[in-house]
Amino acid sequence: MKAAPSPEEIRRHNLGTLLRHVHLSGQASRAELAERMGLNRSTIMALTSDLTAAGLVREELPRTRGRAGRPSLVVRPESSRVYVLALDVGADRLTVARIGLGGVVLARGNAPRPPDPFDPDAVVSELAGQARRLVRAARPDTVCVGIGAAFSGIVRQEDGVVRLSPNLGWTDVPFGAELGRRLGMGLRVSVGNDANLGALAERERGAGAGLDDLIYLHGDVGIGGGVIVGGRLLGGEGGYGGEVGHMVVNPGGRLCGCGSRGCLEAEAGELALLDAAGRRGPGGREAVAAIVDAADRGDVAARDALHRVGDWLGHGVANLVNIFNPAMVVFGGVLRDIYLGAAAQVRSRLALAGLGAARERVRLRTSELGEEATLMGAAELAFSDVLADPLETLVRGKNPLP
Amino acid sequence: MTASAPPDGPVIELRGINKSFGPVQVLHDVAFSVHPGEVTALVGDNGAGKSTLVKCIGGIHPIDSGEYLFRKEPGGEPVPVHVGSPRAAAALGIEIVYQDLALCDNLDIVQNMFLGREEKSGIVLDEYEMERKAAETLAGLSVRTVKSVRQQVASLSGGQRQTVAIAKAVLWNSRVVILDEPTAALGVAQTQQVLELVRRLADKGLAVVLISHNMNDVFAVSDRIAALYLGQMAAQVKTCDVTHAQVVELITSGRSGDLGLAGTNGNGNGARA
Repeated sequence: MKAAPSPEEIRRHNLGTLLRHVHLSGQASRAELAERMGLNRSTIMALTSDLTAAGLVREELPRTRGRAGRPSLVVRPESSRVYVLALDVGADRLTVARIGLGGVVLARGNAPRPPDPFDPDAVVSELAGQARRLVRAARPDTVCVGIGAAFSGIVRQEDGVVRLSPNLGWTDVPFGAELGRRLGMGLRVSVGNDANLGALAERERGAGAGLDDLIYLHGDVGIGGGVIVGGRLLGGEGGYGGEVGHMVVNPGGRLCGCGSRGCLEAEAGELALLDAAGRRGPGGREAVAAIVDAADRGDVAARDALHRVGDWLGHGVANLVNIFNPAMVVFGGVLRDIYLGAAAQVRSRLALAGLGAARERVRLRTSELGEEATLMGAAELAFSDVLADPLETLVRGKNPLP
Repeated sequence: MTASAPPDGPVIELRGINKSFGPVQVLHDVAFSVHPGEVTALVGDNGAGKSTLVKCIGGIHPIDSGEYLFRKEPGGEPVPVHVGSPRAAAALGIEIVYQDLALCDNLDIVQNMFLGREEKSGIVLDEYEMERKAAETLAGLSVRTVKSVRQQVASLSGGQRQTVAIAKAVLWNSRVVILDEPTAALGVAQTQQVLELVRRLADKGLAVVLISHNMNDVFAVSDRIAALYLGQMAAQVKTCDVTHAQVVELITSGRSGDLGLAGTNGNGNGARA
């Protein structure tokens, strides 16, 4: 058993907790913080003045007028000064953004998909180039406190190694270390699975705010899943769990990128939809949106394709609901369009295949963060160091670009 | 109600509503309930009585007979109310967004949202306060598509107009918002935005009634489906318990399996089941 925490540890914990409250709610008065954290106002004052001195938050008079009495000062995050780099590596696009404390997107760059996405070097140098451009454009008094990347593939979180990405064809690529070396900012690059990060982001800032049991399904070229059970992300022994896109829903069905047949992503993913609709050419969300649009205008082939894919998606959702009994299933990426275009099929299948008790209260929602879900997740990953130990991380973060 | 029902029951409960226009009886003994925090989809074929029912709720048509119960406070007891005019409905917190939206093209968003109910400070209009409330309401609904609240409505797209009309309805601390075919004339991207907005209204605790012909929209956002068939309520069911085919049957023949009206003389033979 561990001895009681030292006063220093308690202070660090309190600083982190306070900063997290301000980070997630955007602003909070001292009185609200005292109530939420269960601390007295003088402790809150001491903590906020430490964080203010470090340049992480600032205090100001509230803007709303009205109630009688001396107004409680409002604590706001220093969004434009303290930021992280968030990177999103999807199968068909790369996004890099500078995101300020409090979750404000300060600047973003959409790198085009590199000519050869199967070459890790090309992807890393494209990302590093974009990131350095954003950092250079930032004001000199700003500080980067972390770097996080969302990757569509199976990732070992401790060291940022991409174990497998069927849609990019990567196996055991030391992506995080390589990217960190190229950026040369003296900061660790944390890498996470995009759907897992999307799930966390939706739970902290999106449709699933405050829910402890939530499944986020992210549609890219494949389908990724982030499963939150009892308030914790389901990882499994190696942290590779939650790959719901490779749950077999149709044995002997379409061939999947992973080598198996009839996986959920092979039957309900973007490629299945494009194929079923008889479309050729590049995929991506524009192609999916075009099919939903055509179906709405009465194109029979597009409508049938959407219905078929929606039915398979319903099979997947029904399985997940039966196994995990989530409070909510959130559809993100291209699955947002597919769900809204084929909700009748998805829900009908859920009504038929879902167990009554497991499905009776489940809510199906589209991602509230939309395109930003995985990017915001990457930002939250990058912020996790500064939120755990604000002052120490800030000292480490003061490394300008070489 | 089952244990899964929200703690406080329906905000509006109608029982045995009858309504005739001269010799034509449009609503027969209709029961209908609307729950807070939920989207209740009202579906039915053309002429099934959807619009008449909604107009009875909104006080435009007086009901001939039946009970109209309204829960004035969350958790309170439902009390019988007499809703004889749209003003009486608005006083209870019931707002209806009609298909034609009833927005004025030559006014801006703020002017439209406060039309006829302007905020005043002394004898002049309190433009600052109205602008602030309008912006706050739109932000509260996570509407990011509208650039400025001083934009003229004529310059807005169909989806943005629908958004403004819905925001206008929720501005007044309303408790029930009834939307008549909100996605009817919209493209796919705008339909998606409006559907997500409808869902957000309910998630904020409002009771939402959605009239729609589009089964997909109904399944995408509703918690309950009420199907009208020739002026009778065929069934009011939870969306998670029914399939697309069953709802289509309820609409076209008034019954599906054990659901629906007893003793309709089976002109629907369940071919799609």
